[in-house]
This record gives sequence, structure tokens and C-alpha cells, in this order.
Amino acid sequence: MSLGWRIGALSNGFREATIYRFEFLIEVFGSAFVPAAIQMVLWYALFNLAGATTVAGYSYADLISYTLVSILFTQIRGGDHDFDLSEMIRSGRLSNHLLRPVSVVEFVYLRGVAPKLFIAGVCLVIGLSIGYYYGLSPARMVGAMFLALLGNIIHYQIGAALSTAAFYWEEAYSMLMVKNMIVHLLSGELIPLNLFPPSMQWIWKSTPFYLYVYGPTQYALGRWSNLVFFQSVVIAFLWLFVGYLLVRVSWKLGIKKYLSLGG
Amino acid sequence: MDENRSPLITAENISRTFRSAKKESGFRGTVKLLFRPQYQVAEALKKINFSIMPGSFVGLIGANGAGKTTLLKILSGLIPPTTGQARVLGFEPFSRTKEFRKQIALVMGQKAQLWWDLPALDAFDLIRAIYEIPSSIYKKRLDLLTDLLDVQAHLGTQIRRLSLGERMKMEIIGALLHWPKVVFLDEPTIGLDVLAAHKLRKFLLEFNRIEKATIILTSHNMEDIERLCPRILILRSGELIYDGPPARLTEKGVRRLRVRLIETPTITELSQASGVAVDDIRKGDGEEIGREHSESDAFYFSVKHEEVVRVLESLLKRFRIVDMGLEEESLERVIHRIYEGKI
Repeated sequence: MSLGWRIGALSNGFREATIYRFEFLIEVFGSAFVPAAIQMVLWYALFNLAGATTVAGYSYADLISYTLVSILFTQIRGGDHDFDLSEMIRSGRLSNHLLRPVSVVEFVYLRGVAPKLFIAGVCLVIGLSIGYYYGLSPARMVGAMFLALLGNIIHYQIGAALSTAAFYWEEAYSMLMVKNMIVHLLSGELIPLNLFPPSMQWIWKSTPFYLYVYGPTQYALGRWSNLVFFQSVVIAFLWLFVGYLLVRVSWKLGIKKYLSLGG
Repeated sequence: MDENRSPLITAENISRTFRSAKKESGFRGTVKLLFRPQYQVAEALKKINFSIMPGSFVGLIGANGAGKTTLLKILSGLIPPTTGQARVLGFEPFSRTKEFRKQIALVMGQKAQLWWDLPALDAFDLIRAIYEIPSSIYKKRLDLLTDLLDVQAHLGTQIRRLSLGERMKMEIIGALLHWPKVVFLDEPTIGLDVLAAHKLRKFLLEFNRIEKATIILTSHNMEDIERLCPRILILRSGELIYDGPPARLTEKGVRRLRVRLIETPTITELSQASGVAVDDIRKGDGEEIGREHSESDAFYFSVKHEEVVRVLESLLKRFRIVDMGLEEESLERVIHRIYEGKI
């Protein structure tokens, strides 16, 4: 396995993402604080205006701490490189990549994930600092970040497989949008997933999305045991394997339909 | 087997069809497309056969939609042929093995391959990593290419901020840094000014001569073809209609005799008077390449050099000539007639 081009792709992707520094910072802070602000307003309304004392076993302080820590992992959640893939297929820009002696799917991922890795590093430092102040375990914070990074890969694999719909129908945008909306809901970035009614918990448990934000947050906050964490890591690796197969098969079939339009 | 004596590229009975949904205009057409789509099949290539030896420089020409780019896409492995077989460097292109991809390059004049927001140098650095080019060799090649194409001063500029010509040169450098054995160039001089196109042509000739790279070039610019390609393939509506040197098309010794008369005879009358076949006489239609509309009433005779005097004498016996000129058949004019289906 050649590391050279992979490091090159990461470095190149990072340079591209940060070339417009202001845009980069807006994206990071905007995507972090807007959902957090919405949650804060919601928890305030529930506890201070409606007079609730606990919601599904969570106190006001619990939910605030969930919201704050989940921001760190929401930043790591997969980006939109799957949209890039589908657009490349549709427009014929994929041709540029197909003739290079590297895997297109991996190449696009590495270039896209580069800034996320940087952000993951920053978030980890922030998490460790906050954890030190509030008495959270640093080992748990590192483990949680690791799980979030596995989630990032799974998210891309699912998107990369779905993007192959563009080989058949030219457009896969709506499908990827719907996937992202489901992810927003089931990853735990908007609400803790145990606020779901018990009869509906199976929904998020049967997808890998809870490994993106909810799982890491629960583990970092000490609400998951080590055993549950290790089980989740194993589940994440199983999903990675399934994702790998999905990508392999969908691209192998889809590429036969590629028209290389334009030019 | 002597590698130099066997073809590097072969195309055997290559055909390619494209199926697309047919959409009728208006709301009704949209609804029909949604529930009962109808498809049309276009034949982009029809049983193409040829072979190309290593180190060749071949021009691929044809009108828009003739199938040039489709053929390049098949040879570079982007799409498979519907029927027939292509071999490039001993590989079946569409299998796109890593070994194959390391030895070819495709440059599409209309499609940017470098990363828009990054300086060219960053893009080249990534290409170096992708093709695993040792740093010392990479530096040497980069110096050579940027020097030949005169773009050293722009290496640190974002690609999107470069002029079209500079961008095209960067695209060429990006495509050649790994020293491919086969280069497919799809209209590389599109949008370039005269000087930039000249420099690029000079460079391509050098690269072909020194590195023995096999180059296939498509271009609508006949100057590219005349200056670079000792052999051309002409496609018309997906069919290969000519394979040979460009000089054979212009037929040495054939001249175009341009004559304007006071009378307005028919082509048949002119043929009878001059003894030149009807097919070799044309009336200027105002669309003559490089001609003004004032030449629209001129007649053009394609005649052998030694027959010019005899034809003129014959014409003078019947008609009054007010103006005349003699010129060589240019490749562009011949190709123009081929595209029109007149040859």
C-alpha cells in the first residue's frame, strides 16, 4: 500500500480547503454553533418555560453538556464529498480521475477529509481541555474521537455507494440530500437519541449513524461503559466492511454505464 | 518480438452507440418522458479499423460529432466500445489496469484536470506523488516543461487566475509530468493565441521526437495538423474515411484556378468549354474559406498544373475573363469539402 499519494492527497486537500481562510472558519463555526443554539433554545423552553425537571432521564445540565460535547463530534461527521462524486459522474469530470493510477473513491475521500482531520485535532484539544476542567476522562475523549472518525469513513462509504445512482439516472442529488437529512436526525447531533420513544429505538440502532455523534458523546461524557464502547467499535468495523463491499460492487457495476460526457 | 515493429495502438472493428431519452417539447413531452420514455440510439463510431506504430504523431480530424472524442475516450479506457476491440500498449484500455494508467495521458482542451483553486505547483506536487516520480526526476522534468512552455513565472498562481493559454499549458505539463508513452490530446490549442499555439506545437514535436512518445491529436485547427502530423485519420459521421498522410489529400500538382467572367454560364457549359469535369468546377458561394463575398461570383477549377494554360485558352475562346488567380489546394479547403461530403 503506497502512502505517498495518500499523504499527497491529504496535504493537497487541506491546502485547498484552507485557501479561503475566512470561508473555512465560517464553515467550521457556523456549522457548530447554529445547531447548538437551536438545541439550547429548545432545552430552555422545556425546562425553564414548560417547567420540566427531567426529560427521558436527562436533567437540564445533562442536556446542555450533551449539546456542548456533541458539537465537537458533529464537526467530524462526514462532509459532502459524496455530492462531489455524483456531480463528477454527471458532468463527466470523473474522467480526469479515472485515468490516474489511484482509486477515485479513496482519492476524493482523502482530499475531502483532510480539513476534517485538522478540525478533529483541534476538537480533541478542546475536548481534553474541557474534560480536564470538568473531570472527564482524557482516554474516553480520545476513544470517542476515534469512534467519530470511524463514523466519518462509514458516512462517506454510504454516500459513495449512493452517488453511483448518477451512473444510471445522471442525478443522485436528491438521494444524497435525503440521506443527509436522515443522518441529521439519527446521528444524535440534533437531540440525544435516547429521547426517542422506547418502541422506536430500534430505528437508530439499526443504522450506523449513531456512531457519528451520539455514541462518541455518550462515551466522552461517561454515560457509556467501556464494554458498550468496545462493542460499538466492533460494530463500526463491521459497518466499514459492509460499506467497503457496497462501494466496490456499486462502482464496479456503475462504471460500466459511465458515458464520460462533455469534452 | 521487436517492440518497435509491432503496433502500439490497434482498433479492430470498433463501434460505439449511445442511447439517450428523447424528450418532446412542452409539458406533454415532460409528462411523457416521466411515464413512457422513448429512447434514441446514436451511432458514434462505425467499425473503425487502424493501427499506430510506436513514436507516431497522428492527427484525428472530423467535423463536430464525427466521433473523434468518443474514439479517444475508448482508446484511453474511459468508455468501452459497444463492439470491436481496442489495444493500447498491449492492454485492453477499459480494464484500466494501474500499469496502463501510468503510461498514458489524456488532455481535453475543454476540460480542466487541475484543481481550480490551487496554484499549479501544488497540483504538480500531487501529480508527482500519484505517479511516484522521484523528486530529482520530477524537478528536472518540471524545469524542462515550464521552460519549454514559458510558464515559470505562473507556477505559484491559482489555476483559476491564469489566462486560457497559460492554463492550457499547465494542463499539458500536468499531463506529461509522468512521461507517458501514449498521449491523447483533444484540441490542445483551443483558445490559444497564435504565439502560444506555436510554442505548444513546437513543444509537442520535441516531446514526440526526443521521448519517442506516441501522440494522437484531435484539432479543428488545420495548422496543428499540417505542422505536427505526418499521418491523419479522418472521421465522418462515425466512419473512418481516410487514413494516410495529409499531403496525399492536397495532391501535389493540383491547383485551384479562380476565374471571374462577364458572362454567367452554368457549370455544365463551363465543363464543355474547358474540358474539365463537372465535379472539378465549383461556383464560389460566399462561404469560401478566407474569401470575401465579392468572390461569390467566381468559378473554381481544380486542374493539374500543366493543364492550366490549356484550360484558360479554352475558356477565353468562349467567355470574357475579368479576373483570375492560381493557388494551391490547402488542406483546410480539402477537409472543408470532405466535411461537406463533396469528396
